Amino acid sequence: MAALEVQGLTKFYGSVPALQGVDLAVEEGEFFGLFGPNGAGKTTFLKVLTGQLAPTKGHARVLGIDVAERPLAVKEAVGIVPEVESPPSYLTSYEYLYFVCRVRKVADAEAKITRWLEFFDLGDVRRTICKDLSKGTRQKLMLAAAFIHEPKLLFLDEPFINLDPIYQRRLKDYLREYVDAGGTVLMCSHLLEIAEKLCDRVGILNAGRLIAQGALKDVRGGEKDLESAFLRLVEGRR
Amino acid sequence: MMFLLRLMLREEFRMHTSYTSRHMFLAFPALVGVLSFSTAATANNYLDVTPLRDVLFLLHVSVFLYGVSVGAFGFLGRQYQERATGFRNYLVTQPSILPMSFKRTFLGMYLRDAVFYLALILVPMTLGLLASVPLNGFRVTSILFLFGAALLSFLAGMSLSFFMSTLYVRSARAFAAVAALVSGLFVAYGLSRFSGTGAIPAAALLPGLGVQYAVPPLGSLGAEAVWLTLAGIGLILALLGGAVALVSDQYEPKNVYARDDLPGIEARLSRFRSYGTLLAKELLDLKRSGTPVKMFFSFVTPLIFLSFTVWFVRYGLNLPIGFNTVFYAAMVGFFGISMYNWLNNVDNMDYMSTLPLSVPQIIRVKLVAYLLLTLGISAAFVVAISWMNGDTRLLWLALPVMVVTSLYSVVMTAYLTGLRTNSFLFDPGVLFAFSAMSMLPDVGLAVLSFTIDASPAFAIGGIALALGALALGTLILYQGIDRKWSRAAFGE
Repeated sequence: MAALEVQGLTKFYGSVPALQGVDLAVEEGEFFGLFGPNGAGKTTFLKVLTGQLAPTKGHARVLGIDVAERPLAVKEAVGIVPEVESPPSYLTSYEYLYFVCRVRKVADAEAKITRWLEFFDLGDVRRTICKDLSKGTRQKLMLAAAFIHEPKLLFLDEPFINLDPIYQRRLKDYLREYVDAGGTVLMCSHLLEIAEKLCDRVGILNAGRLIAQGALKDVRGGEKDLESAFLRLVEGRR
Repeated sequence: MMFLLRLMLREEFRMHTSYTSRHMFLAFPALVGVLSFSTAATANNYLDVTPLRDVLFLLHVSVFLYGVSVGAFGFLGRQYQERATGFRNYLVTQPSILPMSFKRTFLGMYLRDAVFYLALILVPMTLGLLASVPLNGFRVTSILFLFGAALLSFLAGMSLSFFMSTLYVRSARAFAAVAALVSGLFVAYGLSRFSGTGAIPAAALLPGLGVQYAVPPLGSLGAEAVWLTLAGIGLILALLGGAVALVSDQYEPKNVYARDDLPGIEARLSRFRSYGTLLAKELLDLKRSGTPVKMFFSFVTPLIFLSFTVWFVRYGLNLPIGFNTVFYAAMVGFFGISMYNWLNNVDNMDYMSTLPLSVPQIIRVKLVAYLLLTLGISAAFVVAISWMNGDTRLLWLALPVMVVTSLYSVVMTAYLTGLRTNSFLFDPGVLFAFSAMSMLPDVGLAVLSFTIDASPAFAIGGIALALGALALGTLILYQGIDRKWSRAAFGE
């Protein structure tokens, strides 16, 4: 069954096109990587799929929910890591996770908060207000906030940015386990090496259009790695 | 410096036009010019009842307070620096990563604000006055003198604010001492004027006002005008120099550790059911960000200013206007709007877009927070002012007026501006609607309150009708919030 289905998705900011007729389907239990040069429309795509922005045209269903009609229901069902790590400035790390649990009506919140504080080694900063955390720590907190309600589908925008190699490894392992257990991930990233190890299928977005999609080896084609394929595909269009 | 200033001005302009559009933003000074022209064109009517000297006094006090409020953005200096690693960045944060002096950048910020806000209000106001010359016969030279003197008042206000903001970062005690000194000077001036001794001249309060009284049409443009101008410039330079000297080139943010207060506050707010968590977070944000102090001053300052104006109109101008408790109650209700604005400026709300929350939901939470925070203070002010004026007989009417106008004002503001009150009020379309929807009922209630003694049945009936209409308007606008903001995104 498809975890998400997108048909002819188009988004304009005023007269500027950010997405132009994107078609995509991602199956449950799949790790899908979305790549593209800066300004290609990746973040806009994620924002439309998670109900943060209304599409100009086209249709998108996430876990069977129409994103244009029921954006809040989509946010309830999925986990989102935004491009910018921006937890609320004046809550402590613990309080932010508590807040997320309450808003999402998470059962057994205390145990889950403890689990994720431990997972990212946030015990030392549990009482530090978020504005005083380092970028990496804020990113860990945003990841914990996205995972804490155990959603079936994760939308991750540059999840590895600002994490040191220890936590990059920890996150990779977790995401692999998550997908193996039936979870679905749609991830935007510029880190092609990491993506190459994680993704089942990938898509390349350029100037708002999905110019390639498919299994990793198909998109790679005859190139030695995804980076070379990416450069060929994107630069070949310029 | 000129290069930095040019870039800062461009940045400021782009920041403001990003709130609306270039055309809409440029319509703002045009609107100021038109208002100034219309006020000046009818000057001959009101100058018959209000002496020019008093009009100029009120104008200079207003311009000085405008300067103070522009300079108060200096208080954001710390927040700008803390946002340097955040989503938005400003040139003023660049000294932390580039070989630039923060003192120099701070000076650039002062010059930027002076030029920008001068061009936004004082210049179009002066142009409006000049355009009215054929209708009222004002002398062009007098208008230019007015502009020069008003410039001194504006810069004095701005410099005082910049000085106070840097002093506050260095020492809260020194800040409190200087604030007390300045307030004392104003109170002493008020008392000397009230007692008729005139022991403290206007120039001691505002050098720009002193200059204004020393140049045509009120003065003769002699040596006194020159000395007062030099003294005014000296005061501005001294305050600005002090502010720049106090700016530190090394900024060390404080790390704040806190107890896990959120669950406890939420438990105490359980009667708000599904809103309890959001409301608890709102109140905790306010507490930890130090916003209540800013909110308190931005609420109380206009109340003090209002009391001063009423006192001045009553005793200074000897105008027989029956200001009573009901009048104050209506004004207090409308002043609460600034509190709602503060609630929207505590923190970036971008992260909310990742949670199953909608903009109307958060607007409603802020409305509840507003009511919890302001109704008590407003009621206390109305009771206190009625007691001080010996006018407690009208409290039974004043309190409902205060409650209804407070509710109406904040719901109307929330409906028009959502979670971005500051930004949307720079949109002339929204500003026009806001002005009409706030001023018409405000003026109506004020006029009705003036007639209470002369015609009680008419006044009370009219006020009851107005309150009914405002309550209905509140309900309609409250229900409209969902429709208007349901698809809005969090953040900028």
